[in-house]
Amino acid sequence: MFTAFATLLSHYKRHPGQLAMLLLGLWVASALWSGVQAINASARDSYARAEALFTTGLDRLERRDGEPLTRDDYLRLRRAGLPVSPLLEGTLEAPDGTQLTVIGIEPFTLPGDSDFAAAGTAGELTDFLTPPWQTRVAPDTLPALGVSHREAPGTEPRLAEARLPPLILAPMLPPDTLVMDIAATATLLDSGERITRLVAAPDALEQAPEGLVLTRAATLVSPGQLTESFHLNLTAMALLALAVGLFIVQAALGLALEQRLGLLRTLRALGVSGRRLVGLLALELLLLGVIGALAGIVSGVWLARVLQPDVAATLGSLYGADVAVTLNLPWHYWLGGLAVTLGGLLLAGSGVLWRAARLSVLGLGQAQAWRSGFQRQLKLMSAAGGAVALVGLALWLWLAWQPPGEGLLAGFGLVAALLLASALWLPPLIALLLAGLGRLLQRRPLAQWALADLQLQMPRLALAMMALLIALSANLGVSSMVGGFRLTFLDWLDQRLVADFYLRPPAEQHDDIHAWLEAHGEVAELLPTRRSEATLVAVERGGDAHNGEVRELALPVGVYGITPGATLLPSWPLLATEAGREVAWQTFAAGEAAFVNEQLAIAEGLSPGDRITLTAPGGEALLPVAAVYPDYGNTRGEVLLATPELASRFAAPPGSIGIVLAPGGDRAALRAGLRQHFAIGGDELVDQREVKRIATGIFERTFTITRALSALTLAVAALALLASLLAQARERRRQLAPLWALGVPRRKLVTVQLAQLGGSAFVVGALALPLGTLLALGLVAVINVAAFGWRLPLYVFPGEMALTLATAVGVALAAAALPAMKLWRTPPRALLAEEAT
Amino acid sequence: MRRITTLAVPLAALWLAGCGEESPPTETAGFAGLGQEAGEFAQAHEGIRLRFPEDHAAHPDYRIEWWYLTANLEDERGEPLGLQWTLFRQALSEPRESSPDERPAPWAADQLWMAHMAVSRGETHRVAERFARSHSRQDDGQAGAVAEPFRAWIDHWQLASRVDTSDESGEGDTFAELQLTAQQDDKHGGFGYDLTLVAEGPLVLHGVDGFSQKSADGQGSMYYSQPYWRVEGEVILDGESRAVSGRGWLDREWSSQLLGPEQQGWDWFSLHLESGHKLMAFQLRGGGADGGDYRSGTWISPEGEPTALAPDEIAMTPLATQRAAGREVPTRWRLAIPRAGLDMIVEAPHAERWMETSVAYWEGEVIARDAESGEHRGIGYLEMTGY
Repeated sequence: MFTAFATLLSHYKRHPGQLAMLLLGLWVASALWSGVQAINASARDSYARAEALFTTGLDRLERRDGEPLTRDDYLRLRRAGLPVSPLLEGTLEAPDGTQLTVIGIEPFTLPGDSDFAAAGTAGELTDFLTPPWQTRVAPDTLPALGVSHREAPGTEPRLAEARLPPLILAPMLPPDTLVMDIAATATLLDSGERITRLVAAPDALEQAPEGLVLTRAATLVSPGQLTESFHLNLTAMALLALAVGLFIVQAALGLALEQRLGLLRTLRALGVSGRRLVGLLALELLLLGVIGALAGIVSGVWLARVLQPDVAATLGSLYGADVAVTLNLPWHYWLGGLAVTLGGLLLAGSGVLWRAARLSVLGLGQAQAWRSGFQRQLKLMSAAGGAVALVGLALWLWLAWQPPGEGLLAGFGLVAALLLASALWLPPLIALLLAGLGRLLQRRPLAQWALADLQLQMPRLALAMMALLIALSANLGVSSMVGGFRLTFLDWLDQRLVADFYLRPPAEQHDDIHAWLEAHGEVAELLPTRRSEATLVAVERGGDAHNGEVRELALPVGVYGITPGATLLPSWPLLATEAGREVAWQTFAAGEAAFVNEQLAIAEGLSPGDRITLTAPGGEALLPVAAVYPDYGNTRGEVLLATPELASRFAAPPGSIGIVLAPGGDRAALRAGLRQHFAIGGDELVDQREVKRIATGIFERTFTITRALSALTLAVAALALLASLLAQARERRRQLAPLWALGVPRRKLVTVQLAQLGGSAFVVGALALPLGTLLALGLVAVINVAAFGWRLPLYVFPGEMALTLATAVGVALAAAALPAMKLWRTPPRALLAEEAT
Repeated sequence: MRRITTLAVPLAALWLAGCGEESPPTETAGFAGLGQEAGEFAQAHEGIRLRFPEDHAAHPDYRIEWWYLTANLEDERGEPLGLQWTLFRQALSEPRESSPDERPAPWAADQLWMAHMAVSRGETHRVAERFARSHSRQDDGQAGAVAEPFRAWIDHWQLASRVDTSDESGEGDTFAELQLTAQQDDKHGGFGYDLTLVAEGPLVLHGVDGFSQKSADGQGSMYYSQPYWRVEGEVILDGESRAVSGRGWLDREWSSQLLGPEQQGWDWFSLHLESGHKLMAFQLRGGGADGGDYRSGTWISPEGEPTALAPDEIAMTPLATQRAAGREVPTRWRLAIPRAGLDMIVEAPHAERWMETSVAYWEGEVIARDAESGEHRGIGYLEMTGY
């Protein structure tokens, strides 16, 4: 038994390259997969902790006029019997510069099932409530405070201006968050009687008390929901990488088996039963799998550590989701990683085991026999490809019937089906091409030989080629999508950000500042905005088909007021209007119509000409929809109105003001003026260029990971091709030897080899172009709409396509170069000697 | 003696319950921690003179205090209803030396408040609970109790004087007429009450001029009652409103160490007798002279003249138990005061009066009958803790 196993393994001693290739495939596949899973698991952990906190899941009350609430407001509402609880929030800077969120709570009135208590430890409540109080903090916040885990409990870390209450560890709290009693927070922040907001259990309040705005918890989307698409995206990329890695493994395993066919027959002949042989091969597989998977998980975690700060920054800026910068992995992550890799390996190795089980003791290993087997395989592949394509078609039809914005998973399924069907059809297609070319080139014996030889190589190259096709198309699709997004987004930023400055004046100074700015000579136009929350309660369809049809709903939406003046009017982008841009803006400016953003239009099937009814605590409005505008990056439905309408119909408080400078206006002078007269600067006044820089920065980071992963996948595919070629290099030389003996010069032999591979890679690359474009279309038209609620125009980038083609050929040539060089250097005598063995 | 509580343990229990870890209240310092040592707090003792209306207000120098009202009511059709309203106070920290006019920091708290309300009718028993913080140097807090005009409140639940003492005479008794309002939403449609309480007799001081001893080694509390309330108004139960009238009993008690460390619970009776007499009697289980139970009580004449009852003047025997919220609770008692010629069977008509609050106990209406003739003797309330 042991001897038989050792004999089986001895193969790798003679062919260490194959062993290396196998392990490499496993390692790469499992590293990418577990890296991405580590990022996902860690982020989910952060979301779970954030959602367990009271900031989500509770209804909020704030003052309508934007002024802060005070303890008196709280007491007044409590005495009126309203179950509200005060929250005081602020930021403190940790010694290392981290911004820490301090949340002050009132534990007696905080709604009980908000899960806050879960963040607590069994500490005495009295200690929480009375000086020196307690700071509840998650262990992963400790490094920012410069405190080690061991010495943490009871320590009172010193910040720039104050000392924190003694620390108590509460692992369920989100990172960089300190929770303490409201009295301790008020002392730390020196906030007097002010509070940030009042909270209440969901739906505990029927309506907002006089003068306050009630925001229902249901409208505050949790970070987990928001970021779902982002993580799904990462998971899809990781699955792709895993699949590509397993292609390598499959190729290597097939080769290792084939070369050991003789050995296996010998073992059978010596009395090792077929079942035992299969068992031994499975054992070998398991051994390799565990080694490869462990190595993969270790490097995956390393990869995740490297990527995590970027991911955290992206999620933070895109969705406002706080994700720990350090990894936080639950135990099941490790087991899961191992299981997925081993499962994949088993899948990849099942073919090998199947063949080994049906091994005929007397059969002869012949390339030609192989080929006829391959013909059968090609037919199977075509059929399977057809089946997968049908699934894809069904998914596409299903998606077409779905309400827009649904079916993110189905969208990924569609894309996956598209890729898989194409990959399955690739070998039959190449075989067809080769056969056709063979007929065309009947008079050119060397070319004929090259084609026939390529056909013989196909069984082994097919898998690597399929992997290459998938990786190339994915790469092209992703870069088209990112490139297209970038063009659209930058344009859109230019159109939306028309003012030179954006000023967020304190509520009590708003009117004075507005008046001062109007009188200021350098200011060409002021663009005041207002924001409010409203509920979309009815949609009345316009147009002939549905005229007058009214649908009732209760959808929370944002209402945003802008100033349709000389600056904004020509540039603000609109996607669709009822009767042209000009009419739309006229009715909008007159307060007779609203615009809706694309997210809302897609989600509710709104189009220009429909009428919507909005209710808000400050009023109700029935408005025709005059236009739909793009609103990238917004996660919610939004209705746009002229600012004065927002003030008069919804009693919305004044918001930020856009300041357009007169030509040649002095930015610095305006800044200085505002600082001098109103002590305003820093956070309240933002330069438009700064906004753009930040927005672009967020955008770049968002796609860093996607691009990095798709590049890595391409690298893996190239590796797969290289590995397949290297694996058969020795055998190839054996087949080239007779040609050389027949008088074909080595230079020509090398050229033929390069042409063979370069040609097939070119075909693969050429196929990847339409496939990649189709993929990009799926991403922008299906997945983006489902994930973000907006559709992107499809852009085609010839440069990217050329690069894809060049990559394909380059990879193939590079992979072929190494064996070719060897061939170049091998003395012909050695070739003949190989043939003789 | 009456009634529960150090808030520290109930609140710690609440805190822990939130963590999903069931942790039984610590029994090392008597029921609900009432046996904790007094420390720097003022200590109740014989010889303290009670002064009104000042003593209607909170006593933050003492660790614990309560305003405890029960009422036996009837609706227009003569159907009996019971109600309870209680405000508990507990000091968070020992009294600190500080100038009285120093304004406390915003949100700073040195007092915790807990309130219970209950309405019961037949087998229905609705209970609610609230918590709040306050500072003893601020009387505008979320909860509190002030003397004149008298007001004890937590959020919108309040017991407040209806007597206008601000007129020129300034003579009115702020405690002569009170208004009790409390309301709670729940899944049954809500419950609550809005009642007028008119005092038809004087305040009654228990024990020795208001010092009520609670164990053989001298622990005790300051304790007075107003057992003469005529109650009228409206009670809402499961969203349904009823006009009601009946009798109420208000207990006021404060202390810094109520129980001896070995006392684990008590059984307490307050009875309105047909004869016009009132009877308050309790036993603390453990802590008696020989490690037995410690009994005490007050026999009150229809005119409000109290007679303190010595431990050996009260006989109190549980006769039968019933299950309430999964616990065996004695709901049928023999209560005899030979000195007053009383030998009664006191029985709870409904056992489902378990107060499922952070500190759980049994509190419900009882009917007293003559032990021999079975003749109706009176009605009242029974409270049992530590079961």
